[in-house]
Amino acid sequence: MKTSIPKYDSPVSDDRNQRDTGDTADRYMLDVTDESPEEIQRAYEERGWGDGLPLVPPTSARVEAMLAGLGAVDPDEPVATLPPRFGVATRRTIAVNAVLAGCLPVHLPVLITAVRALVRPELNLRGVNATTHPVAPLLIVHGQATDDGGYNAGTGAFGPGNRANATTGRAVRLVLLHVAGAVPGPGDASTQGGPAKYTYCVAENLRATPWEGYAASRGVLSPSAVTVHCGEAPHNVHDMDADAPRPILDKIASAMATLGQNNVCISQGEYFVALCPEHAAVMAAHGWTRTDVASYLFDRARVPVATVRANFGSLAWAQWMRSLDGSDLVPMTAHPDNIRVFVTGGPGKHSSVIPSWGMTASVTVPVEP
Amino acid sequence: MQIYRPDGAVGSGPHALAPPVPVLTGKRIGVLDNGKPHARLLMVQMAEHLAKRSGATVTVVTDKGRGHNAATPCSDQVLDTLVKEADLIITGSAD
Repeated sequence: MKTSIPKYDSPVSDDRNQRDTGDTADRYMLDVTDESPEEIQRAYEERGWGDGLPLVPPTSARVEAMLAGLGAVDPDEPVATLPPRFGVATRRTIAVNAVLAGCLPVHLPVLITAVRALVRPELNLRGVNATTHPVAPLLIVHGQATDDGGYNAGTGAFGPGNRANATTGRAVRLVLLHVAGAVPGPGDASTQGGPAKYTYCVAENLRATPWEGYAASRGVLSPSAVTVHCGEAPHNVHDMDADAPRPILDKIASAMATLGQNNVCISQGEYFVALCPEHAAVMAAHGWTRTDVASYLFDRARVPVATVRANFGSLAWAQWMRSLDGSDLVPMTAHPDNIRVFVTGGPGKHSSVIPSWGMTASVTVPVEP
Repeated sequence: MQIYRPDGAVGSGPHALAPPVPVLTGKRIGVLDNGKPHARLLMVQMAEHLAKRSGATVTVVTDKGRGHNAATPCSDQVLDTLVKEADLIITGSAD
Protein backbone atom coordinates (compact mmCIF):
# COMPACT_ATOMS: atom_id res chain seq x y z
CA MET A 1 0.00 0.00 0.00
CA LYS A 2 1.36 3.38 -0.96
CA THR A 3 1.20 6.16 1.63
CA SER A 4 2.05 9.83 1.55
CA ILE A 5 4.06 9.77 4.77
CA PRO A 6 7.41 11.45 4.05
CA LYS A 7 10.65 9.67 4.67
CA TYR A 8 12.14 11.00 7.87
CA ASP A 9 15.73 12.13 7.87
CA SER A 10 16.61 9.96 10.81
CA PRO A 11 19.06 11.33 13.34
CA VAL A 12 20.58 7.87 13.55
CA SER A 13 21.75 7.99 9.94
CA ASP A 14 22.58 11.68 9.98
CA ASP A 15 26.30 12.44 10.06
CA ARG A 16 25.85 15.76 11.80
CA ASN A 17 23.96 14.19 14.62
CA GLN A 18 26.71 11.69 15.20
CA ARG A 19 28.83 14.61 16.30
CA ASP A 20 28.25 16.17 19.62
CA THR A 21 26.64 19.35 20.88
CA GLY A 22 28.59 22.43 21.81
CA ASP A 23 29.76 23.22 18.31
CA THR A 24 29.28 26.36 16.27
CA ALA A 25 26.08 27.43 14.67
CA ASP A 26 27.28 26.88 11.09
CA ARG A 27 27.21 23.14 11.60
CA TYR A 28 23.45 23.44 11.64
CA MET A 29 23.28 24.92 8.17
CA LEU A 30 21.93 23.46 4.98
CA ASP A 31 22.99 24.37 1.44
CA VAL A 32 20.23 25.49 -0.89
CA THR A 33 20.40 27.02 -4.36
CA ASP A 34 18.31 30.08 -3.53
CA GLU A 35 15.81 31.51 -1.08
CA SER A 36 12.69 30.90 -3.14
CA PRO A 37 9.69 29.23 -1.45
CA GLU A 38 9.93 26.40 -3.96
CA GLU A 39 13.57 25.68 -3.14
CA ILE A 40 13.03 25.80 0.62
CA GLN A 41 10.06 23.50 0.29
CA ARG A 42 12.05 21.09 -1.86
CA ALA A 43 15.06 21.04 0.42
CA TYR A 44 12.94 20.46 3.50
CA GLU A 45 10.49 17.95 2.04
CA GLU A 46 13.40 15.94 0.70
CA ARG A 47 14.50 15.41 4.30
CA GLY A 48 11.05 14.76 5.71
CA TRP A 49 10.87 18.20 7.35
CA GLY A 50 8.04 20.69 7.43
CA ASP A 51 4.31 20.40 8.05
CA GLY A 52 3.25 20.49 4.42
CA LEU A 53 2.59 24.23 4.36
CA PRO A 54 4.91 26.86 2.86
CA LEU A 55 7.85 27.80 5.07
CA VAL A 56 9.73 31.03 5.68
CA PRO A 57 13.43 30.44 4.87
CA PRO A 58 15.44 30.37 8.11
CA THR A 59 18.38 32.43 6.99
CA SER A 60 21.01 33.56 9.49
CA ALA A 61 19.69 37.10 9.31
CA ARG A 62 16.15 36.06 10.12
CA VAL A 63 17.20 33.75 12.95
CA GLU A 64 19.47 36.38 14.48
CA ALA A 65 16.64 38.93 14.28
CA MET A 66 14.32 36.43 15.94
CA LEU A 67 16.82 35.93 18.78
CA ALA A 68 17.69 39.59 19.17
CA GLY A 69 14.76 40.44 21.39
CA LEU A 70 15.56 37.87 24.04
CA GLY A 71 18.20 39.94 25.79
CA ALA A 72 21.19 38.55 27.65
CA VAL A 73 20.54 34.85 27.34
CA ASP A 74 22.64 32.15 25.69
CA PRO A 75 21.00 31.21 22.38
CA ASP A 76 22.72 27.83 22.38
CA GLU A 77 21.81 26.82 25.91
CA PRO A 78 19.57 23.73 25.90
CA VAL A 79 16.02 24.55 26.90
CA ALA A 80 14.62 21.03 26.66
CA THR A 81 15.33 17.57 25.30
CA LEU A 82 12.30 16.32 23.43
CA PRO A 83 11.27 12.67 22.97
CA PRO A 84 11.05 10.44 21.04
CA ARG A 85 14.09 11.67 19.06
CA PHE A 86 15.63 13.27 22.15
CA GLY A 87 16.45 16.33 20.11
CA VAL A 88 17.95 19.22 22.02
CA ALA A 89 15.86 22.36 21.72
CA THR A 90 18.10 25.39 22.24
CA ARG A 91 16.77 28.90 21.93
CA ARG A 92 18.41 29.02 18.50
CA THR A 93 16.75 25.81 17.34
CA ILE A 94 13.41 27.08 18.60
CA ALA A 95 14.03 30.40 16.84
CA VAL A 96 14.72 28.57 13.58
CA ASN A 97 11.34 26.89 13.83
CA ALA A 98 9.71 30.18 14.79
CA VAL A 99 11.08 31.73 11.59
CA LEU A 100 9.88 28.77 9.55
CA ALA A 101 6.38 29.18 11.02
CA GLY A 102 6.20 32.92 10.38
CA CYS A 103 6.46 34.11 14.00
CA LEU A 104 7.56 37.59 15.00
CA PRO A 105 10.40 38.02 17.53
CA VAL A 106 7.87 39.07 20.17
CA HIS A 107 6.35 35.58 20.01
CA LEU A 108 9.61 33.76 20.74
CA PRO A 109 9.48 33.98 24.57
CA VAL A 110 6.00 32.43 24.51
CA LEU A 111 7.25 29.66 22.26
CA ILE A 112 10.34 28.98 24.38
CA THR A 113 8.13 28.84 27.47
CA ALA A 114 5.81 26.38 25.76
CA VAL A 115 8.73 24.12 24.85
CA ARG A 116 9.92 24.24 28.43
CA ALA A 117 6.43 23.23 29.57
CA LEU A 118 6.31 20.34 27.12
CA VAL A 119 9.02 18.45 28.95
CA ARG A 120 7.51 18.65 32.40
CA PRO A 121 7.14 15.01 33.51
CA GLU A 122 3.42 15.27 34.24
CA LEU A 123 2.75 16.27 30.65
CA ASN A 124 4.19 12.93 29.42
CA LEU A 125 5.37 14.21 26.04
CA ARG A 126 6.71 10.84 24.99
CA GLY A 127 3.24 9.38 25.34
CA VAL A 128 1.61 12.40 23.72
CA ASN A 129 3.81 12.03 20.67
CA ALA A 130 3.61 8.27 20.49
CA THR A 131 -0.10 7.60 20.91
CA THR A 132 -2.60 6.65 18.22
CA HIS A 133 -4.95 9.33 19.68
CA PRO A 134 -5.11 12.67 17.78
CA VAL A 135 -3.85 14.64 20.79
CA ALA A 136 -2.14 17.98 20.22
CA PRO A 137 -0.67 20.44 22.72
CA LEU A 138 -3.01 23.42 23.08
CA LEU A 139 -1.25 26.64 24.08
CA ILE A 140 -3.25 29.13 26.10
CA VAL A 141 -1.53 32.50 26.41
CA HIS A 142 -2.29 34.52 29.52
CA GLY A 143 -1.72 38.10 30.63
CA GLN A 144 0.56 40.76 29.23
CA ALA A 145 2.00 38.51 26.53
CA THR A 146 -1.44 38.50 24.92
CA ASP A 147 -1.31 42.23 24.23
CA ASP A 148 2.43 42.32 23.59
CA GLY A 149 2.28 39.60 20.97
CA GLY A 150 -1.08 40.52 19.46
CA TYR A 151 -2.68 37.20 20.39
CA ASN A 152 -6.37 36.96 19.65
CA ALA A 153 -8.59 36.28 22.65
CA GLY A 154 -11.73 37.63 20.99
CA THR A 155 -13.83 36.74 17.98
CA GLY A 156 -12.43 33.67 16.25
CA ALA A 157 -9.83 33.07 18.97
CA PHE A 158 -9.17 29.50 17.87
CA GLY A 159 -8.61 30.80 14.34
CA PRO A 160 -8.12 31.58 11.60
CA GLY A 161 -6.82 35.01 10.79
CA ASN A 162 -4.45 36.03 13.57
CA ARG A 163 -0.73 35.80 13.02
CA ALA A 164 0.29 35.39 16.64
CA ASN A 165 -2.07 32.50 17.36
CA ALA A 166 -1.49 30.83 14.02
CA THR A 167 2.28 31.01 13.90
CA THR A 168 3.03 30.30 17.57
CA GLY A 169 0.88 27.20 17.47
CA ARG A 170 2.44 26.18 14.19
CA ALA A 171 5.95 26.71 15.56
CA VAL A 172 5.20 24.37 18.46
CA ARG A 173 4.21 21.70 15.97
CA LEU A 174 7.34 22.33 13.88
CA VAL A 175 9.49 21.93 17.01
CA LEU A 176 7.72 18.65 17.71
CA LEU A 177 8.19 17.46 14.13
CA HIS A 178 11.81 18.54 13.75
CA VAL A 179 13.39 18.45 17.19
CA ALA A 180 11.22 15.86 18.93
CA GLY A 181 10.93 13.74 15.78
CA ALA A 182 7.14 13.43 16.14
CA VAL A 183 6.78 12.64 12.47
CA PRO A 184 3.66 10.73 11.39
CA GLY A 185 4.70 7.10 11.28
CA PRO A 186 8.08 6.78 12.99
CA GLY A 187 7.45 9.35 15.74
CA ASP A 188 3.70 9.99 15.87
CA ALA A 189 1.36 7.02 15.60
CA SER A 190 -1.87 9.05 15.52
CA THR A 191 -4.34 6.96 13.56
CA GLN A 192 -6.00 9.85 11.76
CA GLY A 193 -3.97 12.85 12.88
CA GLY A 194 -6.00 16.01 13.25
CA PRO A 195 -6.24 19.69 12.34
CA ALA A 196 -5.09 20.68 15.84
CA LYS A 197 -1.73 19.14 14.96
CA TYR A 198 -1.08 21.98 12.48
CA THR A 199 -1.50 24.82 14.96
CA TYR A 200 -3.32 25.07 18.28
CA CYS A 201 -2.92 28.31 20.18
CA VAL A 202 -5.45 30.61 21.78
CA ALA A 203 -5.36 33.44 24.29
CA GLU A 204 -7.37 33.85 27.46
CA ASN A 205 -9.82 36.72 27.29
CA LEU A 206 -8.86 38.20 30.62
CA ARG A 207 -10.92 41.36 30.16
CA ALA A 208 -14.08 39.29 29.76
CA THR A 209 -13.22 36.88 32.58
CA PRO A 210 -15.48 37.52 35.56
CA TRP A 211 -13.08 35.75 37.90
CA GLU A 212 -9.35 35.95 38.49
CA GLY A 213 -7.28 34.97 35.48
CA TYR A 214 -6.73 31.29 34.81
CA ALA A 215 -2.96 31.37 35.46
CA ALA A 216 -3.46 33.13 38.79
CA SER A 217 -6.06 30.52 39.70
CA ARG A 218 -3.32 27.91 39.25
CA GLY A 219 -0.92 29.87 41.43
CA VAL A 220 1.10 31.45 38.60
CA LEU A 221 1.16 35.16 39.38
CA SER A 222 3.60 36.44 36.76
CA PRO A 223 2.48 39.13 34.29
CA SER A 224 2.50 36.62 31.44
CA ALA A 225 2.04 32.87 31.43
CA VAL A 226 1.41 29.94 29.13
CA THR A 227 -0.70 26.86 29.73
CA VAL A 228 -0.12 23.70 27.71
CA HIS A 229 -2.96 21.18 27.67
CA CYS A 230 -2.62 18.07 25.53
CA GLY A 231 -6.07 17.34 24.21
CA GLU A 232 -8.42 16.98 21.32
CA ALA A 233 -9.65 19.71 19.04
CA PRO A 234 -12.46 21.84 20.58
CA HIS A 235 -15.97 20.37 20.75
CA ASN A 236 -18.51 23.14 20.26
CA VAL A 237 -21.37 23.76 22.73
CA HIS A 238 -24.02 26.31 21.87
CA ASP A 239 -26.74 27.71 24.08
CA MET A 240 -28.54 30.73 22.70
CA ASP A 241 -31.35 30.95 25.22
CA ALA A 242 -30.36 30.33 28.80
CA ASP A 243 -29.99 33.14 31.31
CA ALA A 244 -29.01 30.77 34.11
CA PRO A 245 -25.95 28.57 34.58
CA ARG A 246 -27.58 25.16 34.67
CA PRO A 247 -28.95 24.89 31.10
CA ILE A 248 -25.63 26.06 29.68
CA LEU A 249 -23.58 23.74 31.85
CA ASP A 250 -25.89 20.79 31.21
CA LYS A 251 -25.10 21.12 27.52
CA ILE A 252 -21.39 21.33 28.28
CA ALA A 253 -21.71 18.26 30.51
CA SER A 254 -23.45 16.47 27.67
CA ALA A 255 -20.53 17.23 25.34
CA MET A 256 -18.14 15.96 27.99
CA ALA A 257 -20.01 12.71 28.59
CA THR A 258 -19.55 10.97 25.27
CA LEU A 259 -18.28 7.41 25.21
CA GLY A 260 -15.63 7.91 22.55
CA GLN A 261 -13.35 10.13 24.60
CA ASN A 262 -10.28 8.81 26.37
CA ASN A 263 -11.51 10.54 29.53
CA VAL A 264 -14.16 7.82 29.89
CA CYS A 265 -11.62 5.17 30.71
CA ILE A 266 -8.71 7.28 31.99
CA SER A 267 -9.82 9.11 35.10
CA GLN A 268 -6.79 11.36 35.52
CA GLY A 269 -7.57 13.15 32.25
CA GLU A 270 -8.52 16.80 32.41
CA TYR A 271 -11.15 18.75 30.53
CA PHE A 272 -10.54 22.31 29.48
CA VAL A 273 -13.80 24.20 29.21
CA ALA A 274 -13.43 27.33 27.12
CA LEU A 275 -16.37 29.51 28.08
CA CYS A 276 -17.34 32.32 25.74
CA PRO A 277 -17.64 35.69 27.51
CA GLU A 278 -21.45 35.68 27.38
CA HIS A 279 -21.75 32.26 28.97
CA ALA A 280 -19.15 33.22 31.58
CA ALA A 281 -21.12 36.38 32.35
CA VAL A 282 -24.23 34.30 33.02
CA MET A 283 -22.30 32.22 35.54
CA ALA A 284 -20.94 35.28 37.31
CA ALA A 285 -24.30 37.07 37.31
CA HIS A 286 -25.69 34.19 39.35
CA GLY A 287 -22.78 34.23 41.74
CA TRP A 288 -21.10 31.11 40.39
CA THR A 289 -17.34 30.93 40.73
CA ARG A 290 -14.96 29.00 38.50
CA THR A 291 -14.92 26.27 41.14
CA ASP A 292 -18.72 26.16 41.15
CA VAL A 293 -18.71 25.64 37.40
CA ALA A 294 -16.17 22.83 37.64
CA SER A 295 -17.99 21.18 40.54
CA TYR A 296 -21.32 21.26 38.74
CA LEU A 297 -19.78 19.76 35.60
CA PHE A 298 -18.10 17.08 37.69
CA ASP A 299 -21.50 16.20 39.11
CA ARG A 300 -23.38 16.29 35.80
CA ALA A 301 -20.91 14.91 33.26
CA ARG A 302 -21.50 11.26 34.08
CA VAL A 303 -22.45 8.06 32.32
CA PRO A 304 -23.85 4.79 33.70
CA VAL A 305 -21.00 2.71 35.04
CA ALA A 306 -22.55 -0.39 33.48
CA THR A 307 -22.36 1.25 30.05
CA VAL A 308 -18.69 1.98 30.50
CA ARG A 309 -17.92 -1.51 31.72
CA ALA A 310 -19.79 -2.95 28.75
CA ASN A 311 -17.73 -0.86 26.33
CA PHE A 312 -14.20 -0.95 27.73
CA GLY A 313 -11.98 -3.87 28.63
CA SER A 314 -9.41 -1.72 30.38
CA LEU A 315 -10.13 1.11 32.81
CA ALA A 316 -7.42 3.40 34.18
CA TRP A 317 -9.70 4.65 36.93
CA ALA A 318 -9.08 6.04 40.37
CA GLN A 319 -9.54 3.37 43.00
CA TRP A 320 -12.80 4.83 44.36
CA MET A 321 -14.35 4.76 40.90
CA ARG A 322 -13.74 1.03 40.67
CA SER A 323 -16.21 0.48 43.50
CA LEU A 324 -19.13 1.90 41.46
CA ASP A 325 -21.62 -0.63 40.16
CA GLY A 326 -25.28 -1.27 39.45
CA SER A 327 -27.10 1.92 38.58
CA ASP A 328 -24.26 4.21 39.68
CA LEU A 329 -23.15 6.99 37.40
CA VAL A 330 -19.43 7.40 36.92
CA PRO A 331 -17.91 10.88 36.45
CA MET A 332 -15.83 11.59 33.37
CA THR A 333 -12.83 12.46 35.48
CA ALA A 334 -11.84 11.58 39.03
CA HIS A 335 -11.90 15.07 40.59
CA PRO A 336 -13.54 18.47 39.98
CA ASP A 337 -10.10 20.06 39.83
CA ASN A 338 -9.50 18.14 36.61
CA ILE A 339 -12.11 20.39 34.98
CA ARG A 340 -10.32 23.60 34.04
CA VAL A 341 -12.35 26.66 33.09
CA PHE A 342 -11.10 29.67 31.16
CA VAL A 343 -12.70 32.37 29.02
CA THR A 344 -11.97 33.05 25.38
CA GLY A 345 -13.79 34.28 22.30
CA GLY A 346 -15.94 37.21 21.31
CA PRO A 347 -19.64 38.00 21.12
CA GLY A 348 -21.99 35.05 20.72
CA LYS A 349 -23.07 32.04 22.70
CA HIS A 350 -20.69 29.27 21.71
CA SER A 351 -18.37 27.69 24.24
CA SER A 352 -16.25 24.59 23.78
CA VAL A 353 -14.93 21.52 25.54
CA ILE A 354 -11.40 20.26 24.99
CA PRO A 355 -11.09 16.67 26.25
CA SER A 356 -7.72 15.32 27.27
CA TRP A 357 -5.69 12.54 25.75
CA GLY A 358 -5.77 11.06 29.25
CA MET A 359 -2.32 10.13 30.55
CA THR A 360 -1.16 13.72 30.71
CA ALA A 361 -1.59 16.74 32.95
CA SER A 362 -1.65 20.36 31.88
CA VAL A 363 1.14 22.74 32.83
CA THR A 364 0.92 26.50 33.50
CA VAL A 365 4.23 28.34 33.64
CA PRO A 366 5.43 31.96 33.64
CA VAL A 367 6.72 33.31 30.34
CA GLU A 368 10.51 33.39 30.51
CA PRO A 369 12.95 33.73 27.62
CA MET B 1 23.44 30.04 0.02
CA GLN B 2 22.74 28.47 3.38
CA ILE B 3 19.74 28.26 5.66
CA TYR B 4 19.37 26.66 9.05
CA ARG B 5 18.42 23.07 9.57
CA PRO B 6 15.41 22.84 11.90
CA ASP B 7 16.23 19.78 13.97
CA GLY B 8 19.25 20.48 16.16
CA ALA B 9 21.45 17.94 17.87
CA VAL B 10 20.41 14.73 19.54
CA GLY B 11 20.88 14.82 23.29
CA SER B 12 21.45 11.15 23.92
CA GLY B 13 22.27 8.39 21.53
CA PRO B 14 19.72 5.73 20.65
CA HIS B 15 19.77 2.69 22.90
CA ALA B 16 21.16 -0.41 21.26
CA LEU B 17 19.14 -3.60 21.32
CA ALA B 18 20.50 -6.38 23.48
CA PRO B 19 22.25 -9.12 21.52
CA PRO B 20 19.95 -11.97 20.53
CA VAL B 21 19.95 -15.16 22.57
CA PRO B 22 21.43 -17.75 20.17
CA VAL B 23 20.04 -20.84 21.90
CA LEU B 24 16.90 -20.79 24.02
CA THR B 25 17.39 -24.17 25.65
CA GLY B 26 17.71 -23.70 29.38
CA LYS B 27 17.07 -19.96 29.17
CA ARG B 28 14.52 -17.96 31.17
CA ILE B 29 11.79 -16.12 29.30
CA GLY B 30 9.99 -13.10 30.76
CA VAL B 31 6.87 -11.32 29.57
CA LEU B 32 6.38 -7.59 30.10
CA ASP B 33 2.73 -6.68 29.57
CA ASN B 34 2.64 -3.31 27.77
CA GLY B 35 -0.88 -2.54 28.98
CA LYS B 36 -2.64 -2.84 25.64
CA PRO B 37 -5.82 -4.93 25.45
CA HIS B 38 -5.10 -8.64 24.97
CA ALA B 39 -1.33 -8.04 24.88
CA ARG B 40 -0.69 -10.22 27.91
CA LEU B 41 -2.73 -13.11 26.52
CA LEU B 42 -0.92 -12.99 23.20
CA MET B 43 2.58 -12.61 24.63
CA VAL B 44 2.17 -15.25 27.33
CA GLN B 45 1.00 -17.72 24.71
CA MET B 46 4.00 -16.86 22.57
CA ALA B 47 6.32 -17.31 25.54
CA GLU B 48 4.83 -20.66 26.51
CA HIS B 49 4.99 -21.88 22.92
CA LEU B 50 8.63 -20.84 22.66
CA ALA B 51 9.45 -22.50 25.96
CA LYS B 52 7.76 -25.74 24.95
CA ARG B 53 9.58 -25.85 21.61
CA SER B 54 13.02 -24.96 22.90
CA GLY B 55 13.33 -26.25 26.43
CA ALA B 56 13.28 -22.77 27.94
CA THR B 57 11.21 -21.72 30.98
CA VAL B 58 8.76 -18.87 31.42
CA THR B 59 9.98 -17.39 34.69
CA VAL B 60 8.21 -14.05 35.02
CA VAL B 61 5.07 -12.40 33.67
CA THR B 62 4.55 -8.85 34.87
CA ASP B 63 2.90 -5.54 34.14
CA LYS B 64 4.83 -2.27 34.28
CA GLY B 65 4.36 -1.77 38.01
CA ARG B 66 2.88 1.21 39.82
CA GLY B 67 0.41 3.09 37.62
CA HIS B 68 0.58 0.37 34.97
CA ASN B 69 -0.76 1.81 31.73
CA ALA B 70 0.03 1.56 28.04
CA ALA B 71 1.01 5.23 27.99
CA THR B 72 3.45 5.20 30.89
CA PRO B 73 6.95 3.77 31.30
CA CYS B 74 7.85 0.61 33.17
CA SER B 75 8.95 1.13 36.78
CA ASP B 76 12.62 0.70 37.67
CA GLN B 77 11.68 -2.00 40.17
CA VAL B 78 10.01 -4.10 37.48
CA LEU B 79 12.95 -3.59 35.14
CA ASP B 80 15.34 -4.76 37.86
CA THR B 81 13.20 -7.86 38.41
CA LEU B 82 13.18 -8.66 34.71
CA VAL B 83 16.94 -8.27 34.44
CA LYS B 84 17.45 -10.62 37.39
CA GLU B 85 14.88 -13.24 36.49
CA ALA B 86 14.94 -13.51 32.69
CA ASP B 87 17.39 -13.90 29.84
CA LEU B 88 14.87 -12.94 27.17
CA ILE B 89 11.95 -10.52 27.46
CA ILE B 90 8.91 -10.51 25.22
CA THR B 91 7.07 -7.19 25.15
CA GLY B 92 5.27 -4.89 22.76
CA SER B 93 5.37 -1.20 22.11
CA ALA B 94 2.10 -0.60 20.30
CA ASP B 95 -1.47 -1.82 19.83
